Amino acid sequence: MNWSLILGITITIITAFTVGMFYGGISRKVTARIQNRVGPPIWQNFLDVLKLYSKESAIHHGWMQHLGPLWAITASTATLMFVPILNNGQFYQNLNFSGDLIFLMYMMVFGQLGMALGAGQTGNPNSAIGVSRGLSQMVGYKVPWLLALVAIMVQYKATSITGLIELQNQIGWLMFASPFAFIAGLLAFIGMMHYSPFDIVFAPSELASGPPSEFGGKYLGLMMTSGSIFTFAKLVLFVDVFLGGASNILELLLKTFVIYMIPVIYGIVSPRYRTEQSIRYFWGWPTFFGVIGMLYAWYMIS
Amino acid sequence: MIEKKDSLAIGEYIKNFARKHSLFVLAYGTGCGAIEIPPTMTSRYDAERFGIRGAATPRQADVLLITGYLATKTLKRVIRVYEQMQDPKYVIGFGSCTINGGMYWDSYNTINSLDKYIPVDVFINGCMPRPEAVISGFVKLQEYIQEGKADGWRKYQNNIEEYRENQKRIIKNWRMPDYNL
Amino acid sequence: MMNSLFLLLFILFGSAILSYIGHRISETLGNIIVVVGAFSASIWFFVGFETPAEFSYKIADFDALWSFSSYSWIFAALVSILSPLALLYSTSYMKGKERLGTFYFNFFLSILGMIGITMSQDFISLFIFWEIMTWSSYLIVIYLGKDVEKVGIKYMIFSAIGAYALLMGIVLINREVGSLLIEDAFAYFPQIQFSTQLLIGILLLIGFSIKSAMMPLHVWAPGAYSNSPMSYTAVFSGALSKMGIYGLGLVFIRLLSSGEFTLINEIFAWAGAITTLMATFYAIIQDDAKKLLAYSSIGQLGYIIVGVAIGTELSIMAAIYLAILHAAFKGNLFMAIGAVEKQTGSTDMTLVTGLIRKMPLTFFSTLVSIIALAAVPPLGGFVGKWMLYQSLLASEHFFLIIVIFTASTAAFLYSFKILYSLFLGQEEPEFKNIKEAPLPMLIPMILLSLFLIVTGTFPGILFEPIANGMKYLGFNDVNWNMSLLVNAWGDEVNLQHVSMYIGTIFIVAFIFISLKNRKRTRYVTTKDISTSGEIPLPHENLSFKLNFYKPFERAISPVMKKTMDSIYDEIGNGLNALFQFIRYIYSGNGQGYALYVIIFFVLLLLLKNQIFGL
Repeated sequence: MNWSLILGITITIITAFTVGMFYGGISRKVTARIQNRVGPPIWQNFLDVLKLYSKESAIHHGWMQHLGPLWAITASTATLMFVPILNNGQFYQNLNFSGDLIFLMYMMVFGQLGMALGAGQTGNPNSAIGVSRGLSQMVGYKVPWLLALVAIMVQYKATSITGLIELQNQIGWLMFASPFAFIAGLLAFIGMMHYSPFDIVFAPSELASGPPSEFGGKYLGLMMTSGSIFTFAKLVLFVDVFLGGASNILELLLKTFVIYMIPVIYGIVSPRYRTEQSIRYFWGWPTFFGVIGMLYAWYMIS
Repeated sequence: MIEKKDSLAIGEYIKNFARKHSLFVLAYGTGCGAIEIPPTMTSRYDAERFGIRGAATPRQADVLLITGYLATKTLKRVIRVYEQMQDPKYVIGFGSCTINGGMYWDSYNTINSLDKYIPVDVFINGCMPRPEAVISGFVKLQEYIQEGKADGWRKYQNNIEEYRENQKRIIKNWRMPDYNL
Repeated sequence: MMNSLFLLLFILFGSAILSYIGHRISETLGNIIVVVGAFSASIWFFVGFETPAEFSYKIADFDALWSFSSYSWIFAALVSILSPLALLYSTSYMKGKERLGTFYFNFFLSILGMIGITMSQDFISLFIFWEIMTWSSYLIVIYLGKDVEKVGIKYMIFSAIGAYALLMGIVLINREVGSLLIEDAFAYFPQIQFSTQLLIGILLLIGFSIKSAMMPLHVWAPGAYSNSPMSYTAVFSGALSKMGIYGLGLVFIRLLSSGEFTLINEIFAWAGAITTLMATFYAIIQDDAKKLLAYSSIGQLGYIIVGVAIGTELSIMAAIYLAILHAAFKGNLFMAIGAVEKQTGSTDMTLVTGLIRKMPLTFFSTLVSIIALAAVPPLGGFVGKWMLYQSLLASEHFFLIIVIFTASTAAFLYSFKILYSLFLGQEEPEFKNIKEAPLPMLIPMILLSLFLIVTGTFPGILFEPIANGMKYLGFNDVNWNMSLLVNAWGDEVNLQHVSMYIGTIFIVAFIFISLKNRKRTRYVTTKDISTSGEIPLPHENLSFKLNFYKPFERAISPVMKKTMDSIYDEIGNGLNALFQFIRYIYSGNGQGYALYVIIFFVLLLLLKNQIFGL
């Protein structure tokens, strides 16, 4: 048994969970302050999750619903394992060298598919509508996201994240070296976070919260855990690819926090897009910037 | 040394602390009291600072908030929603109508005392109770939860026959699925 | 001593005849013959000949040569593994149908055709076997007698176009090279005039790409795949379409190997990518599971065409790997849908619902195949897609990668739709008494699922024969590892780590969530959902099935306006109008004809200088 690996995995997951939960709490606080409220304390999300785990009963509609949150947490922690937390393996290395960007892009969908199947089995029509919207929207924001990442991969001839971080130590952040890809990636990233205006999937008053509407107690708790870990993993991935990673925890927290605040603050002041509107939005300007980024990469290598 | 009994108590304390500070409310707003919910939740009174927030479905909810009178027809739905919630769960009766029928005390189609049909942990008196009163009701519920006194759900499990009898007296054509514990 | 290759064909042909006779006598006898024949042919294929066997003969002054090259052996092995499983499945699936003898006769003949194609080393036998395969598959497409005039005729016409193109190419090769042996053609091809080279190449490519359902030539495929019995479609889509890929590989890599044809490669790669994208969009809007899978097959074949057309080492490897994987997961999916059809009588996704608790094993195999199809990491499909993207990145096909990656993301939509609509969702009382599919149908599905799971961690078991076969295509030292993927820039994916991590976390989380509050976790029916306190009655329909992806349809509506079918219809109408016009010339009036003759002579006199150069 490789105990240091197991220790590293455990600590990474706990860190990701803690940071993700605090970020969620901060976003609630910020929302409250913008709406001129006091708002909940920033550790409110911990209390929510703890309460969900301390529920004494739970129901499920069958095996697939039982397994759905499991898939989600497996996929979100797996995503986390392949993303380098800090530069040069200062933090635990986990499995950073065992996967690359293309692998991660597929890995990140794994959890959504599992959640969708779990939500599907509940038989609640709201869940199915939510899933249908969520998957449609996913095709929307994947296009600019892909364009951004492929532009970077072809320009710098690397698909591994550690390779990209090393490269950025020499040439500076890719945010400035490939600005168009960065813009496309950022706009797609706002969609990936599922905050307003792209939150039609979980619309609480319209769809009764959509896919998780039949999940309660421990299942909902596991989903929230997975969600916070996944949020952190996505943020770290974005920082690693575009902002040159981070050399210590403080820098990492600062960078991820800044990136995290963009969708949050953009979301508070935005109304909600319908599904086809958000798809068309992603296939509009973000894709345009992505194509420009791609042509720029092409120009740079030839 | 911490005795096993003590450690259980500590565990229970932590659980109750979390339950107390995180109340997902399902507002059953068929009565006129529903109008008091928006000001309670929004900027002026901001219930979220106590950890109170809305839940979309009964599966996710902790607190069932019955705002005002219940017609005999809606009682069926309330029982259904209550039974779909996960333990531990709490009920807040909101307004005089849930206590004794209020101004509908002699109406032919409303129930008079909610407590007969589902266990109510906290009643908030008034017609209408203002948001301050609502929040004070929630704070009272939090106290009860911390002390372990908000055990209406356990009462419901233990006295299910009695509650069923009362419920069936109102709902003549009983077609509810079984409530297995 | 009979030649071992000949014996293989003999077993298949004998099984065809015997199963026809057997099914005339009794269904049980026929089924026994079918299973025994299929498995003995397959076993003979794998253990019958160790050394590369050869069989040569002369027909009508042409040399003919049969032997397996290491490349064609891959495809023959594909057929030999998939077809006995499909036939075993078929014995149960086709129970009680009429004219079973004819069905199995044609089934065996098309297996014979496919094996024959892979073993022929000369164009004449290739063409003959190609036609045997086409005709027997045509007879099965029209076997159920459903939509014959639409589906059958479309398949017929396109097969005929393909066959003529192929024949024309072969004739041209014979004229220029003077030999019909495939090796000779490869050897002397560079000496031919360039325009003839181009013509031969395009003709052969059209001939082969019709069978692999490439975009402008695909219109036969959705109907033909969904109209034939599912047990045959598993082979039809899984193995028969790969014969086109086999041919495309030969033409692209061996025949058009000189650098002058990169434009054709690019065109075919783009055609393949657009095939993938459009077929995926069409699959999303289908409501019939069979149609959905048919379009999805076209889409998946598009990836393979992209891989073959790019023609780098990694892309060829990805294409062959995907071809094998596609045979496994699409065969598995068609079988699972067939099982649903057998048990419920319908594959309409708006009707059938909530089968997961009735058919758990069928659901399991569908789930595994869907995960492989969607290329999600711990299963085999991911490996192929990864290699394809890496080869595209390395060969600088940037926009191609965007198109097929988008298609691959959109594939999640129909993947989820097929799982949700048939197996998940509300459990309706009309499907209360559905039973799990019988054992002969389950065994092939479970075996194929296990194969997909194993290849997710150890794709090396497939890389070995692929690397071997690629020697024939001229890639001599192909690097491969048992469970490690490495791209051109040295970045790698360690599949063992991935699988071990996912497995461990899954088990830990599973134990946690299953043991927590175990006594107070209970199962509730799908009618027990939060419907605002309302209690749904048994007959109340709470399924959300119809127009499942309406928002997505609205978003992509601009590209969906014109289908290839309607374009062909317009061409047909145009030709019809032309022929109508020509018909007016033949007015049937003697004086009219006299007038034509006079006009002809007047023109001749006027233009005699220009025409005869006098």
